[in-house]
Amino acid sequence: MAEITVVLPPGVGLHARPAALFVGAAAKSPLDVTIGRPGEPGVNAKSILGVMGLGAKAGEEMVVTAEGDGADDLLSSLKTILETPEGGHA
Amino acid sequence: MALQVLSPMPGRVANLSEVPDPMFAEAMLGPGLAIDPPRSPVTAVAPISGTIASLFPHAMGIEADGYSVLVHLGLETVQLNGEGFTLLKAKGDTVVAGEPVIEWDPSVIEAGGLPVITPLIAIQAEAGQITQLVPDGTQVEAGTAVFEIA
Repeated sequence: MAEITVVLPPGVGLHARPAALFVGAAAKSPLDVTIGRPGEPGVNAKSILGVMGLGAKAGEEMVVTAEGDGADDLLSSLKTILETPEGGHA
Repeated sequence: MALQVLSPMPGRVANLSEVPDPMFAEAMLGPGLAIDPPRSPVTAVAPISGTIASLFPHAMGIEADGYSVLVHLGLETVQLNGEGFTLLKAKGDTVVAGEPVIEWDPSVIEAGGLPVITPLIAIQAEAGQITQLVPDGTQVEAGTAVFEIA
């Protein structure tokens, strides 16, 4: 299983909009993807409510995992999404 | 069996296209509708029975039997960091449809420059799964069934 650690930049908590963008990207992949805090079981990264439910705040470290072919590429694109400040999505 | 979704507050039923935020207007989170609340203190109630899977001062997500419904009180209200909202429940609590969850005052939020129109979303549902039960423009009470999710 591949995993990557991302620190949420200032201004990027995983509330509705960032969660929707992240989940939208994760859901396009056929792989199993999770997101969670280090040392805790992750939640399904394809569930908007699950990801919002983490209540992750700016500055927090999150671990994203994926299993299967292309996992590394997927994780690096998800990392980019998480690290993009909100204004950058507009 | 279809699940009935209740209006979390009194107000006017509006089409999501009236919501000035593309994330909701384009149904990125899922289909639904919006409630334009009165400009006075109101209590937002649970739109369905289930578990509170995500809870912010300005938003609640409730999950039951594979259905998820999000109530987002106003727009861009995350930036208030909870100012103007009072939580009556905690994440993980089980609620019955119609049970009070968040108190807020739309007049205060609006005076602060933020829209108070409140999207009510069937998270990650397909547009074809929902049936609106009252026409746009209808004034409803908290607890009125406003759409069904198949």
